[in-house]
Amino acid sequence: MTDMTQNSSTQFSTPSADGSSFAVLKHQFLQIWQVLAALVLIYLVFFTLSEPFRSLDTLLSIFGQASILAILACGTTVVLISGGLDLSVGSIFAVVGVIVGIALAEYQLPVVVAVLIGLLAGAAMGALNGTIQVFTKVPAFIVTLGGLTAYKGIAEILASGRDLSRFPDSFQMLGSGYLVPMLIMFGVALVTGLFLTKTQLGNHAFAIGGNEEVARLSGVNVRKSRIYYYMLGGVLAATAAILEVSKLNFAMPARGQSYELFAIAAVVIGGTSLFGGRGGVGKTLIGMLIMQTIIVGLSYLGVGTSVQRIAIGIIIIVAVYWDVWRRPSR
Amino acid sequence: MASQDGKKPILRARGVSKHYGGVVALETVDLDLHEGEVLAVVGDNGAGKSTLIKALTGAIPKTSGTIEMDGHEVQINSPTDAKAAGIETVYQDLALVNELSITKNMFLGRELIRNDILGRLFGTLDFPKMDAEIRALFQKLDIRIADIYREAEAFSGGQRQAVALAKTVMFGKRIAILDEPTAALGVRESKMAMDLVRSLKDHGLSVIMITHNMQHVMNYCDRVMVLRLGRLAAVRDVKDVDGDTLVGLITGASEDKAA
Repeated sequence: MTDMTQNSSTQFSTPSADGSSFAVLKHQFLQIWQVLAALVLIYLVFFTLSEPFRSLDTLLSIFGQASILAILACGTTVVLISGGLDLSVGSIFAVVGVIVGIALAEYQLPVVVAVLIGLLAGAAMGALNGTIQVFTKVPAFIVTLGGLTAYKGIAEILASGRDLSRFPDSFQMLGSGYLVPMLIMFGVALVTGLFLTKTQLGNHAFAIGGNEEVARLSGVNVRKSRIYYYMLGGVLAATAAILEVSKLNFAMPARGQSYELFAIAAVVIGGTSLFGGRGGVGKTLIGMLIMQTIIVGLSYLGVGTSVQRIAIGIIIIVAVYWDVWRRPSR
Repeated sequence: MASQDGKKPILRARGVSKHYGGVVALETVDLDLHEGEVLAVVGDNGAGKSTLIKALTGAIPKTSGTIEMDGHEVQINSPTDAKAAGIETVYQDLALVNELSITKNMFLGRELIRNDILGRLFGTLDFPKMDAEIRALFQKLDIRIADIYREAEAFSGGQRQAVALAKTVMFGKRIAILDEPTAALGVRESKMAMDLVRSLKDHGLSVIMITHNMQHVMNYCDRVMVLRLGRLAAVRDVKDVDGDTLVGLITGASEDKAA
């Protein structure tokens, strides 16, 4: 017994670590500082290279452009931490946009009702993904790849022959400018972060993503939890869709295309593991900001969209390589 | 096979079988566990040891068989059922989630929820209380791990096993089932783990332990049951056997006359 004592206290001694919140905060900061440093570095590089990039307006537009995708990516973060994958959130985004558009433009429903219908639709589609997956055991990749095309089809059918634009002013306020979407982004990130770190269901996402069998043997209801995570992903995709429809003042089924990939990219760049069990929404926000900074910065330098895509692609691979490389014993 | 000394077994399994299609992993095995004893389960690879405990604890559905606790039949069809019956299990390689802190691992599936509006509405966890309970328990068991908020993967095999065993003390009300608690541990760490196993007894737990180590059977166990090719080959009091006899029973070189 005393042997074990010495072993543990010499190897892992942190005298201050009496479970104090300071120790926990320090621990969290150590996990996040690398991506944060990368973000600052990338920002500074463009800051040096481009004169117009230095304005406050540019900084705000980076946040503004990041906000809608970041909200969606918060959901992706939870799903990936739990060891799942949802490729259909871009299509859920499209369906919700169209549904909210119909509710507002065709049925003239109150804004609150339309928003609620949109969120419910997102929850339902996410839950359907999760349910199919846990009960059929068809891999998440396949189920949600099916969802990607099927939901897209639904969005097209719903939108066909309809003019989904010119929404009430009160609705347009939601997504206009930078400030409101940014605040909603921070609000969503905060709530999702608290969900992941402070609640039982949120903690189980890490357990299930880390080792599903251990979680099951420990009495965690893996199936039910998984369905909730996909549902949350659907709700956050819906939130993002509502903001975008508001911002653009029209809805169309082509919106949301590839958003799932941008979200996964941001999540992975931020340092959430693609293999489950590790990560957080703070990282995802930073990952999304890194991506948007690069996109905005490159366009200020006159680099075209195609080259931007190549750059993002390379960064994704590097980020995943880093994830694989730093994983112990695997 | 009659229960010894007229004592009623705390756990009594009868005719436990597990078939995978046509493959027989376990065939009508009986098991008695007495109050406060450490029962060793030994056998060659593929003898059905792990299958037996997984069937007992509801980790896998058994093909047939009944389980009684204190003379009453109980239905154990899931790990949750087993926990509710007071049975804690440490599965080999499946004890801890690497990515979770020691606190979160200890309470996985049984987290303490805050006793306030946040807890009731959102299932908000009471980390201070969980941390305090773990620290108290670790002190009692002389496990000196300070960084309980640190991920499990940061710790050595011995420390991880100590945490897993501490979990059985924290939650096990009646029975601890251990699948090779010293597998992959060094000599020194094995001894520490086995001392912990012995102390489970002092905490009112009866123990079933799978092991490959005959020394551990001799030094730490009261009785031993031998499985061979999915069947029960022998049950002995440890004081009546020696290592060679046991190896003979495991390999089938010496047939059991007593059973």
